[in-house]
Amino acid sequence: MTRPDDARRAILRAIRENLARGEASRPDPLPGGSPPDPLPLRAGSSQGVRTLFTEQLAAVGAQCTPVCGEAEAGRALARTLAGVHARRVVGSDAPLVQRLLHALGDGFVLEPLDRLSRDELFACDAGVTTAQWGIAETGTLVLESAREKSRLLSLVPPTHVVLLSAGCICESLGDALARVSVASHAITLITGPSRTSDIELTPVVGVHGPQTLHVLLLEEA
Amino acid sequence: MRVSLFVTCLADQLWPAAAAGAVEVLRRVGCSVEFDERQTCCGQPAFNTGYRPEARALARRLIEVFESSDADAIVSPSGSCTAMLRHYEQLFEDAGWRARARRLGERTQELSSFLVNRLGVEDVGASFPARLTWHDACHGLRDLGIRDEPRRLLRRVRGAELVELSPASVEACCGFGGTFSVKYPELSVAILDEKVDAIERAGVDVVVSGDASCLLQIGGRLSRRGSSVRPVHLAEVLASRRSSPP
Amino acid sequence: MSFERSARAALADEQLRGALRRATTLFGERRRAAMATLPDWEGARDRARAIKDETLLHLDRYLEEFTANAERAGARVHWARDAATACEIIGRIAAERGARTVVKSKSMASEEIHLNAALAARGLEPVETDLGEYIVQLAGEGPSHIVAPAIHKTRGQIAALFAEKLGVEPSDDVAALAAAARQTLRRRFAEADLGISGVNFAVAETGTILIVENEGNARLTTTLPRTHVALMGIEKVIPRFADLEVFLELLPRSGTGQRMTAYQSLLTGAKRRPDDEGPEELHIVVLDNGRSAMLASPVTRQTLACIRCGACLNACPVYRQIGGHAYESVYAGPIGAVLSPQLFGLARSSELPYASSLGGACRDVCPVKIDIPALLLHLRAEVVGRRAGKGGVLERLAFSSYAAVMARPRLFEWVMRAARMLRILPPIGAWTKFRDLRPLAPRSFREQWRAGLRDQAAP
Repeated sequence: MTRPDDARRAILRAIRENLARGEASRPDPLPGGSPPDPLPLRAGSSQGVRTLFTEQLAAVGAQCTPVCGEAEAGRALARTLAGVHARRVVGSDAPLVQRLLHALGDGFVLEPLDRLSRDELFACDAGVTTAQWGIAETGTLVLESAREKSRLLSLVPPTHVVLLSAGCICESLGDALARVSVASHAITLITGPSRTSDIELTPVVGVHGPQTLHVLLLEEA
Repeated sequence: MRVSLFVTCLADQLWPAAAAGAVEVLRRVGCSVEFDERQTCCGQPAFNTGYRPEARALARRLIEVFESSDADAIVSPSGSCTAMLRHYEQLFEDAGWRARARRLGERTQELSSFLVNRLGVEDVGASFPARLTWHDACHGLRDLGIRDEPRRLLRRVRGAELVELSPASVEACCGFGGTFSVKYPELSVAILDEKVDAIERAGVDVVVSGDASCLLQIGGRLSRRGSSVRPVHLAEVLASRRSSPP
Repeated sequence: MSFERSARAALADEQLRGALRRATTLFGERRRAAMATLPDWEGARDRARAIKDETLLHLDRYLEEFTANAERAGARVHWARDAATACEIIGRIAAERGARTVVKSKSMASEEIHLNAALAARGLEPVETDLGEYIVQLAGEGPSHIVAPAIHKTRGQIAALFAEKLGVEPSDDVAALAAAARQTLRRRFAEADLGISGVNFAVAETGTILIVENEGNARLTTTLPRTHVALMGIEKVIPRFADLEVFLELLPRSGTGQRMTAYQSLLTGAKRRPDDEGPEELHIVVLDNGRSAMLASPVTRQTLACIRCGACLNACPVYRQIGGHAYESVYAGPIGAVLSPQLFGLARSSELPYASSLGGACRDVCPVKIDIPALLLHLRAEVVGRRAGKGGVLERLAFSSYAAVMARPRLFEWVMRAARMLRILPPIGAWTKFRDLRPLAPRSFREQWRAGLRDQAAP
């Protein structure tokens, strides 16, 4: 076996040599060649963007409840969790999530994220997180790992409840990509519940990830 | 307008009515037609099977044959062979030959495209009382972008009723593919049968196409299946003046 | 078995053909509907292709930039010249960490290098976690479609398979089948200590890898185990983070007819702080395995623009009849017919470039405008040039005689006239077995021309 550095050098050399060969005999010029300009950021009217976002959420099978202020958000959260018969609930480390969870009434077991084993996490009924951004054109939620511990909670429990500030909805994917930061080692884009069409192209939700995705869209009070 | 006919070897030997029909239609719309008897095959069978030197030799011949004519356009009753002429350039490394190949490609047009796009003619005064459907030959459709032209011409044919195939079948390949139809006959016929099923479901008398090759394939299977649907070349329909069903 | 024989076997399998016809038709309809939701489809295709072309022309530079940025973010980048080296690297990573349970999310590159077999030889049994991949793994098969590995199976076949292998009650309910797989696979995820994934795009500017999926298994694979190994071909790199937009517009629409798949994971290095979520280590294995040779000509280079959406498979009349397994390569359909000979050698796959009617439907649906028919023709010329094909002496003789006759118009006419008079049929029994052959016309066009057509006046 070759040494690791040799492999790297060999591959890069092969790339350069083959490209040089391609340049020498070049019968068919290909389109392009210079880097294309980045697309301009599209700004939309915030009401239109919000409407589009909720329409697209519905189209991908996510539920959405607009809420005004934290108190209403708390009530909506309790209703949502009760609606899916969630008992064991785990929330992210986002202060808003923690405040809302601790304001929940009886009937819920709040699991501590930091001390959960993998098996315990798998036994949770619902995960509650925030999302940093929404994308209107596709009904997508954007979660950044540097902002919140949301990777597992948004994935493992069968229900994922997401709090999103209505002011953080971007119009397009490009707008969202321009706003996120790779200071997050994981950026997760979520569009609807987990699904598969691997058997006869028949859609089934909740194959590995959540079956239910519920967005609480937070307007300022 | 002076037109030089690129007849294609297939139409010449197997479907001369298509070639004669093209002559008739072109004259009817006011073109004078010339035919250079030195032309044979464009080399597509060799090119498509990977025999480039053989294809290149035939390409050189055809380029020289048509260069000797100063006709305003070269017109062919075949989308596939017209597309082959447009591919000629990639057979050559030499800049001179590449330019000559490109020039030939630019001068050559498939019949329906020539009538509709170059001459602006849709009604060629044809009459062909029958229910017919159009088969989009792949090379005409995808290499040359011919989709509306034949349909516009057929809609103006007196007595003809154009029936489109189902959306899933309308642009489907007939499975001919030249040597493909001989190398993998079962596969070719499996593809063909879907097309023929769709044609029969459409309840037509005639299937029309712009390529004799597709018509040989489709017609060969229709005939084997004992179908009453007949394969007819577009040029035959456009040349027709008949008042009773074929 | 040859392509010809396996294709014939597939044609005889009515269940397979029914499943394929339904699935590919549905894929096509969904793709068209999704396309319509992007205002400038053609513009997006042009832009994506321009980005790929630019990347490929400077692939060395972008790979180095990607490596530097990924390593700065905490990933380890490994380079593998061929399949064996890549398997060796991944096997060693697993061994050094004492991995016991390996979970995998969908990766065509891992299929290409037969990673599962290589890990099995080391006593590890990687579990495929994508539902379709899991189904074909249970069945002891390979994927038959780039995005829908079990497209060739009916729900009845899958129910029987699950009953046999998982001991669950046979059920025709697709949701119940998916739930059975979920339950079994959850146990494996709970104990997994190594996760292996593919890569859809690798961003040079940031060192980010992007993984596209719908089920969430790739997220589980890349979040739960302590170690994550991502395997990518050298062509997966793109220059800028912002370039992801156009590819994420094209890939889901072309592949599954979705505006967006359920999940995109953009992973930049390993976790930064001890209490962050996610693997402690990220290893990225960069695989050449024959790809760099494709850079040597503009025709073959475009093969590397492929984003593995599978749209060309669904559109291909040949694939629609026989499915993926007949191609006898992990890459099936039109893109497989051009990839396989270039990756695995022309001698092994000399039939594949001929497995096409050259209709060009694949080129029309390709989101990055790969001219697959041109590639097929290029490879056919290689097959003939290197005498690697099955046509042999007879075929060469036939084409040289054909060219000799066609170069001489008088000889051509004489030969055709003789054939007509003597009723000689071309030796194509393969044609006449299923189709009637139209006889030569009683009089050729050129004879009609000379006999008076030339001199007829305009009507």
